[in-house]
Amino acid sequence: MSLDVVILFLEQGIVSGLVIGSIYALLALALVIIFKTSEVPNFAQGEFYMAGAYVALFLVVFENIPTVLALPVTLVVCFLGAALFQKFVLTRVWKAKGSPINLVIATLGLSYLLKGLVRNTGFGDSPRTFPSLVSTDSITIGQASLTYLDATIFCTAVAVMIALFLLFNFTQLGRALRALGMNPKAAQLVGINLSRMNMVVWGLSGAISAAAAILVAPKLLVSADMGHVVIMAFAAAIVGGFASLPGAVVGGFVIGIAENLVGLFVSSQAIAVAPFLAILIVLLIRPQGLLGGRVALKKV
Amino acid sequence: MKTIRTRIAVAAVAIGMTAGFAGAAYADDAPGVTKDSIKIGLFAPISGPNKAYGFDPLNAAKMWYDKINAEGGVNGRKIDYVVEDTRCNANDLVAAVKKLVEQDHVFILNGGSCSSATVAAKDYVVRNNIPMVMLNASGDGALYPPVKQIYGAFSISQHAVGGSVVEFSVQHFKARKIGYINHDDAYGSWNIEAAKYMAKKDGATLDVQSVSPTISDVTAPMLKIKAANPDVLVLTTYARPAALIVKKAHELGFNKPIILAVTGTANLGQMAENVGGKAALQNFYTQEVLAGAPGSEKLQWVYDMYKKAYPKLAAQPDYPQPYMPYGLPPAMAVVRALKEAGQNPTRDKFLDALSHMKFDSKVMAGPIEFSPQDHAAQESTIYLKFDGKTSTLIPGVYTNAWHYGDK
Repeated sequence: MSLDVVILFLEQGIVSGLVIGSIYALLALALVIIFKTSEVPNFAQGEFYMAGAYVALFLVVFENIPTVLALPVTLVVCFLGAALFQKFVLTRVWKAKGSPINLVIATLGLSYLLKGLVRNTGFGDSPRTFPSLVSTDSITIGQASLTYLDATIFCTAVAVMIALFLLFNFTQLGRALRALGMNPKAAQLVGINLSRMNMVVWGLSGAISAAAAILVAPKLLVSADMGHVVIMAFAAAIVGGFASLPGAVVGGFVIGIAENLVGLFVSSQAIAVAPFLAILIVLLIRPQGLLGGRVALKKV
Repeated sequence: MKTIRTRIAVAAVAIGMTAGFAGAAYADDAPGVTKDSIKIGLFAPISGPNKAYGFDPLNAAKMWYDKINAEGGVNGRKIDYVVEDTRCNANDLVAAVKKLVEQDHVFILNGGSCSSATVAAKDYVVRNNIPMVMLNASGDGALYPPVKQIYGAFSISQHAVGGSVVEFSVQHFKARKIGYINHDDAYGSWNIEAAKYMAKKDGATLDVQSVSPTISDVTAPMLKIKAANPDVLVLTTYARPAALIVKKAHELGFNKPIILAVTGTANLGQMAENVGGKAALQNFYTQEVLAGAPGSEKLQWVYDMYKKAYPKLAAQPDYPQPYMPYGLPPAMAVVRALKEAGQNPTRDKFLDALSHMKFDSKVMAGPIEFSPQDHAAQESTIYLKFDGKTSTLIPGVYTNAWHYGDK
């Protein structure tokens, strides 16, 4: 391999890794905010993302609703869907048995339900796309090539991450959500409505997943199985530290870049194992994740 | 003492009766055959997410059997078919096969539209010596090495997909260096085996990138292909990865011919939308296993027959489905083998008839041909240039020359 090719592969691998990594980072954020507040790994996260894509597809392509209207409607629908799932399913499952494992099983059930519903509409048979809001013409950065759509995906994803950072750090709602994650009982004692905050967290997670889907659907296509990408989000969250929001972002970019560089310098077949290799290395060297903070002992 | 003797006598009678019944059931190697009818077990996915693979091929097979019945049947016997749904699921398929054999007592099995599920029935049909003629599954895993009871790949085997597309690349484009992207699953390993053999035979080299069927970012494999600078790029992936690769190839300015194998061509209209329109399809070719382009004059009789058999279904949008014609050749093969098995058919006579069968189905690109060493029916393909709207036929038929055991 000549030096020119090595440089091309490096530049393209990093640029493409940042673009796809921004989507992994958004989904990892959606996973982490739920895990921080309820300690439930949401196995329906991929299907929230898939459902968001299909809601947008339905509104934009089949109902011809203008995109500027359809996209906020999609975010609201997904926010409400996830919040109502928390309110009417998870709360009852928790009350009935009180075991976190039952909550995990409920999220698994939701993932199958959403996939089944999409397949039954008949739109889940073929991969589909919906029109990109920006041009798909290519630009070059150094030797690397990317499209305006790629650049928009990256910039918008980063903007969403900044908005979340501002929400969690500089608003009353954000402080309430953080308090819920730190100590629910104490949060309740100071007057935070736990039930409402839990709904908000799940709703926020649904809306973030929908945002990721809307951004990436014109690039990666919409299909009933598109939710498998959540495996990358889990990998990103683990690499970053499962309870760390900045860690989820860093983890997303690490996984995106790692899978591209492994694909380019090792083998295309190794792309699928790259995230798991990254998890293994991080767990060996820094078990709490890259930004997971110190390992704390919990009193039982 | 008397009691013991009585017990021994009863046991002896019971054993004798059991043996007698077993003898009655297995003495004649022709369950499901009566004076007036032959019972056949048909199975395919006719519900669920993979219904498109089998629903209309099964309809095509049924309409062929109905036609034969209307013409008087086979050797004076009507074909009586029992249909089971497999939903493309291995467990469902094996259960359907057992039900057809053990409860419905069919003479032979004709079914299977999804390779991995169909291959799961292999052990059972071999153990019980039940002839199984696949519907439209490629089913390489059950065909190589060949076993006496199983025949298939009426549309095409995955080996023939890989072998014939390399033949086309070399003959039509004079390609010496072929970029080849396949999947890292069983399908991919089957088609690359024959592709490598054909490339070696034709003096070409392959630059292979194997990707996961669930891949999201195709930058790495496509950039490596571009850097290798092949004369053509062959894709044997499923539709979604194929669309992502074609789109990425356009983004990276790759302008060599791209040939998409039949594994990814189920909905070309949707594919054109998914890759962003005509610009990405300027040098794009598709592999086809039918005798002519879908909807062409050569195949009109098939579509007319379907319209006549299923007028209500044919009036619905998206019907007949693309894979519909694939169901005819297996039904034709079954009828021919039954005819040759004669007035007193047995399963072994039926299998003997299949083992040296050759005929032109007028449906597929090449002849349906079996030998004792090769139970894959169809090895040929045609090619179409697709510009996003219209498909133009490239003259010629391109055939895989790989056979089981070739290295």
